[in-house]
Amino acid sequence: MELHVDEQFSEIEKLRAELLANVDVMADWQRAEEEISHQEILNRIEGIILGVVTSLSKDEAPVLALPNRSSWANVSFDSTIGLQMSSRQSVVTIRSDCPSSAAKFAQILKILSVIYRLVQSNSYATKRDIYYNNTQLFGSQKAVDSIVDDISCMLKVPRRSLHVLATSKGLISGDLCYMEEDGTRIDCHSSSAGKGVPDVNSRLMVKKLWDELHIPIFALVDADPHGIEIMCIYKYGSVAMSFEAHSLTVPSVMWLGLLPSDLQRLRVPEDALIPLTKRDESKLSSLLERPYLTSQPDWQKEMKLMQQSKVKAEIQSLTAIAPDFLTNIYLPNKLRYGGWV
Amino acid sequence: MVMEMQQVLRLIMQMAKQRQQLGLRTAGGLLVLLWTDTGASTQKINCTVAAAGPWCTGIQIEALQLVLADLKDSMFPCVWPHHEPDPEELSAFTDLYGSLRLLLSFQVKDTSHCSSEWQARIEAFLRTFTVANAGIQIHLKFKIKQQTSQREFRVKFKRKVALADLLLTLDVACSAPPLWCVKKGCWCERGHPAFGGRLPLSIPPQAMDQGLLGDLSVQLVTLLSPCVLPYPNVATELTRIQNTSNIPVTGPSGFFQTLPAALDCQEMGLDRIYCSTFKDLVYSGGTVYTVEKDSWDNPEQESSLPTVQQSLLLFFFLQHSDPFTSQLTDLMATEVLIEHHLEDILNKNRQAVTAALQAELRNTLKVQHHRKKQQEKLHAAAEVILSSSISIVSSSSSMDFRNACLNCMKVHDTRELGASLRESLWRVMSWKFIPRARCFSAKMEVHPENDDPTTAEI
Repeated sequence: MELHVDEQFSEIEKLRAELLANVDVMADWQRAEEEISHQEILNRIEGIILGVVTSLSKDEAPVLALPNRSSWANVSFDSTIGLQMSSRQSVVTIRSDCPSSAAKFAQILKILSVIYRLVQSNSYATKRDIYYNNTQLFGSQKAVDSIVDDISCMLKVPRRSLHVLATSKGLISGDLCYMEEDGTRIDCHSSSAGKGVPDVNSRLMVKKLWDELHIPIFALVDADPHGIEIMCIYKYGSVAMSFEAHSLTVPSVMWLGLLPSDLQRLRVPEDALIPLTKRDESKLSSLLERPYLTSQPDWQKEMKLMQQSKVKAEIQSLTAIAPDFLTNIYLPNKLRYGGWV
Repeated sequence: MVMEMQQVLRLIMQMAKQRQQLGLRTAGGLLVLLWTDTGASTQKINCTVAAAGPWCTGIQIEALQLVLADLKDSMFPCVWPHHEPDPEELSAFTDLYGSLRLLLSFQVKDTSHCSSEWQARIEAFLRTFTVANAGIQIHLKFKIKQQTSQREFRVKFKRKVALADLLLTLDVACSAPPLWCVKKGCWCERGHPAFGGRLPLSIPPQAMDQGLLGDLSVQLVTLLSPCVLPYPNVATELTRIQNTSNIPVTGPSGFFQTLPAALDCQEMGLDRIYCSTFKDLVYSGGTVYTVEKDSWDNPEQESSLPTVQQSLLLFFFLQHSDPFTSQLTDLMATEVLIEHHLEDILNKNRQAVTAALQAELRNTLKVQHHRKKQQEKLHAAAEVILSSSISIVSSSSSMDFRNACLNCMKVHDTRELGASLRESLWRVMSWKFIPRARCFSAKMEVHPENDDPTTAEI
């Protein structure tokens, strides 16, 4: 018997209504994101250079202070935003007179000068362009990527405002069409799904979908600690990008599956299950200690179940029940009966 | 005269060495006075040796007299009347070091030794003594034919080091780097001895035939001067090597003069090492070598990089032990044999000694190469920092920002700004100063009206 479309999505509509009711209480500034002018960005870069010149005028070695983006001590949890950088944060000092850090100091100033030119001329470049323009100086693409994020954090300016673009690794697919700023029309029907730890562009896209369309966002991830962490990044953010949390996090993300309780409920065959490794157990314990999970008792329950069962499973494990189980039974029933946490 | 003098000093030194082995204090003074009697038909040279201070406390004078009596019989020509030295000389000495523990006087009639050559040999002998006994200050005074000259062997900084069963006090005073190098005015005045391995030496047959038996070994100790450890970013260049030993070299040493030819300069990244002119160094107690580096790949860059030239002092400490030799006279005789056969000993062990020396030089130069690499990293980074900064200043449309930068550096345009920033950045990078606990820090004060530097402790 074919369900009526309204009945099929009745639970989702209820969820959407609940979420929309909460959107109004969110701080206005989260959506009314302050646009930083080009001139202000140039001023901030000039401030850094003036600091360098001032140090040298006093015969002191110039030093750059970068907020520490890898320390949990520098972030705090806000239920309406997710993980965000604390106002009082520790910094990493990059000295120009130390052989082990002078190269990084030089790389930062080089990228600052590139950004300065891009913003001044209102042109754009990718991180890849920056790297390939001076591979000897930077050594690796990863170095450029990290420094661009460091500069974004240091100047307190979103990366996209620095006119530095990234090639996204996330892909979007489905019944969606949208228009980009320059008028380009994007049809997502023919794309395929993306995967893995989300990069900034992927997170921005998801954030955009929620902000503009208020579409409930469900996460379908592998039933393993890594999958749960990916989902947490979408929902609550990451330590590394916490300085831009308000523009990247989607606190309304719901965990649709694959839930550890689904493995038991659906009696997924044992040979499709994988024992947790020591690393998995460690990651799981670390996740359970994250500040944002205290407000998610259902997620905690699922994760503790995984801890007790000591097994994990990929989404593909559902094919062990039936080849089309995921698309024809699992997902429709989950969405129909509100099987998310 | 020199031989007699050396024997007496050798005796005292042996007694001091025994005290070193017991770990007792080795500070104090040694006075050596030589003067001629006038008016007599035959000129006589009188010699007085006096010692005071902890280093000779406990010397048994009775035992000393027995040995002296043996010496007296063996030396020719020598007379041992009781000629007293000028009391004023002794009193000035005791004022400094306390009451005399030892006072020996003797006289020699043969005047043919009364020359500047033997004065130089005595000086060289005493200098060798200070190599391993830097705690003892030596006052040497000549009053020969109405002419007076005096030398003091005084060490500014010393350090006790243990080599096998011997406790030595080394002179570790470092020369100050040139004033233009030391922008912050702080430098380390004390060197930091680095110890090589102990190398056993074979005794040549001709020395064995004369009674030199037992175990002979040499230990290399190196001292780089000036110390630049508080300046981690400055490059160094080894330009001079000087070797010295606890055994006096009584003449030009063929071994040490030909040593550079046996070293593998290419392995060390050097162009060549050659022996300096020896004529001024005959009795200096050491050999000096000049070091020349390989031709530079980038002469322009090399000339702009601040470099401190360093000297390496190489101590060759020869040690001898023989369980069957314990009497003072035997110990003194052994020393005489080692001195006499030093050249033979070194030649017999040429390969091993050269290899040990090569290893020490390699270690010294490894540090030098590392500093050079670090400086190159800084230089490369500095170019990028400067070009990026100037790029932003030049392309800025903000007059306030541009003027603030120009005013900071007290220049008029971006061209001058670039030059000024380059000079300043290079200065702060190169002369980064990190105080180190083991480096004694002295501050150099230069008075405008007087170019002679004075020093004060911090």
